[in-house]
Amino acid sequence: MTEVPKIVYDRLRAALPEQTHPDPDLLAAFAEQALSATERDAVLQHLALCGDCREVVALSLPAADMVPPQTAPQTADVDVRTTVSRAGAPAPHKLSFAWPNLRWAALAAGVVVAAAALLLHPGKLNQATLPSVNPQVATTAPPASGSQIASSSVPSSVTSSAPPSSITSSPTEQLAVMAKTDEAQPKSELRLSKKLNAGQVLTPSPQAESGILLADNNKDSGQADKLSATPPASAGAFHYDARSSRAASETVEASGAAAAVTTEPSTENALVARNNAPGNDAPAIEKAKPALQEKQADEEEQKTPAAAVPGPVRLQARNVMSAATLATTAKQSLAPHVTWAIKAGVLQRSLDSGQSWQDALHADHPLLCYASHDVDVWTGGQAGTLFHSADNGVTWVQVQPSIKARQLSSDITHIELRNIEVRNNELRNNELRGNLRDDARRAEIIVSTSNNEIWSSADDGKTWDRK
Amino acid sequence: MHSWEMPKPAQSGQGADVDIAAALYERSGAAAYDVSAEQFAAIVDEILRKYLLQNSVQNSAQNLAANSSHVSAEQKTAFCAGLRLEELALARACAAGNERAWQDFINRYRQKLHSMALHITRDGAHAAELADSLFADLYGVNARDGVRRSKLVFYTGRGSLEGWLRTVMAQEFINRYRKQKRTVSLEEQTEEGVQFAAAVPEPACTSDKLLEAATDEALAELSSEDRFTLASYYLDGRTLAEIASTLGLHESSISRRLERLATGLRKRILAGLRMQGLSHAQATEALATDVRDIELNLRSRLTQDSGAKPFPGRKVPAQDAGDGSLD
Repeated sequence: MTEVPKIVYDRLRAALPEQTHPDPDLLAAFAEQALSATERDAVLQHLALCGDCREVVALSLPAADMVPPQTAPQTADVDVRTTVSRAGAPAPHKLSFAWPNLRWAALAAGVVVAAAALLLHPGKLNQATLPSVNPQVATTAPPASGSQIASSSVPSSVTSSAPPSSITSSPTEQLAVMAKTDEAQPKSELRLSKKLNAGQVLTPSPQAESGILLADNNKDSGQADKLSATPPASAGAFHYDARSSRAASETVEASGAAAAVTTEPSTENALVARNNAPGNDAPAIEKAKPALQEKQADEEEQKTPAAAVPGPVRLQARNVMSAATLATTAKQSLAPHVTWAIKAGVLQRSLDSGQSWQDALHADHPLLCYASHDVDVWTGGQAGTLFHSADNGVTWVQVQPSIKARQLSSDITHIELRNIEVRNNELRNNELRGNLRDDARRAEIIVSTSNNEIWSSADDGKTWDRK
Repeated sequence: MHSWEMPKPAQSGQGADVDIAAALYERSGAAAYDVSAEQFAAIVDEILRKYLLQNSVQNSAQNLAANSSHVSAEQKTAFCAGLRLEELALARACAAGNERAWQDFINRYRQKLHSMALHITRDGAHAAELADSLFADLYGVNARDGVRRSKLVFYTGRGSLEGWLRTVMAQEFINRYRKQKRTVSLEEQTEEGVQFAAAVPEPACTSDKLLEAATDEALAELSSEDRFTLASYYLDGRTLAEIASTLGLHESSISRRLERLATGLRKRILAGLRMQGLSHAQATEALATDVRDIELNLRSRLTQDSGAKPFPGRKVPAQDAGDGSLD
């Protein structure tokens, strides 16, 4: 920057401001560009001369422009995802939506999903909670339900004819074979316990993992050193424990039908990608890419059956979503650092921590507030205007909150996304936590209106409750 | 709880029109906080009087136009449309001691207050202190004439309540920081050598009157926005991003503007000097003799300070560190 003559410093400093300073109201409104032109000029005139007021304005610039508070996940299960993604590929500081960067995101997502799928066999960490889950599976499904779930969710060709030789071809098929193992012993419970630490979760190559699983499948399950088959009365379900050595480390747990994961196309693709990754990066990336693109849509598709169909199918769907969740999070953790602001009724987005801003959304009515959590962004404004973007503001969907044909028409003044932490606290003592994990991930949106109503939705705005 | 002040209902006809007031009242949702329509109208009236009528007085005085009461209904409506009515209702209801309003306020802002304080102070302990003290002010711990006075009564809904809270907090921080600076212990002063340091010369007045006059003239020609940009960048050391964010502009336009201002100023000062009768060479020389690299100047000043240090033999580790950076 060109220097100015020193005399300019002196004369600028020597300027004497008026004795009366603008009140905080005006200064705040000035910084928010909410003043009329005349008022703005008056404030600027004062600011040009008054160093104290300039300092106040500078100090009161919103911190949110620098660091959005919602992006600080702290719960244990979020740590899983962050650690998993960190180990998968270090996140660069600055990313953009440009393809070269997305490519790495896709690869990382693939790696994470592959790791997740290998870990996410149905299981519980704590033996004390096992009986509580197993009976549930047993009661909600007929005795052969384990195998039914598996066979229904895996392509029939794989389940029906998966010979031992084909097991090595992909993790998908391993899962199928594991399901077959279960099918062959419908009254046995297969419990897999494995101690892992944070590094080990991701460092083993898929082949090594496959090797273990293969060995386990080929051998009598009771003989494997880390694998024990016990024959309780409950219907078969896999319990795979990933127990970390450190308290702060991650625990991945899920229950239900592991083979259900294979119904998720993105997961499947990602698994394949992961398998190929060490040998040949390019195909892995190509395969992971569609997986990422389809992920959102798939997730959406999965939500509906999960809500509508009770019983084992629902469990299965949830497990699918758990896997998809990890993929989503991996992508999120690598997504650019997007910050949001509302200026003059327009939602603005910054991809470079507030250095530059671009308009992200103009609505018919001025927007008043926003809330974001990872790639989920909500913004609301006058006359019940509410928009939702699930992809960091690339596409927007208008949401019309309504309860029993009564539509929300007052101004939306505040949006809050109750995050994972809050919901997980509620779920912490829940026996079915393993089954509810994906629900916990999705933030609940709480909207405050100008007439002091509070509307909330736990399903991305499909249904609403008024408090 | 009932000892808070609530504005008296509007008595005069100068307030917002009844229908506007009713619409505003409905939009604000003040009813939920037990604020009556009359009370809210009084609040809006007070705000209108503070900003709109005051401006109108100034304008009319300048234009020698009609008196202040001629503020059209349209102007009022437009002004009120820009108010943060819901936040205004919340703030004023809190100031009036409404329990539900406080509950809402705490839910929405308590956490934010702490993060704002952390952003401003960049220090956990100070942040907690600042946030708590502001919260006490907002709650109205200090009684005046037996009446609790909540700071929220000063919020007028021009900007967001959050922005207002940040600004109030920033002011509080600056006041507090200044106070602390004033109460630095003698011991510290001794250690720093402040007591014995040569008096800091006031802005080196090496420039002659001609140069000063020419510079003042050149600065006076600038728009207030340009001058604000200049002062923020060169005097206050703000970043381009901060200035851009304050002015609602793009960073690159601030950068271009500063370039333009720096070169423009130099030209204008030179032109001013030549207008005073100096030749081009003389003007350039007058300006050049005063163009010093600010760091060089700072260094010479610091060297002077360190030379005046009281007990050079009795260095303490902390002082060593300080000296290292100075030398």
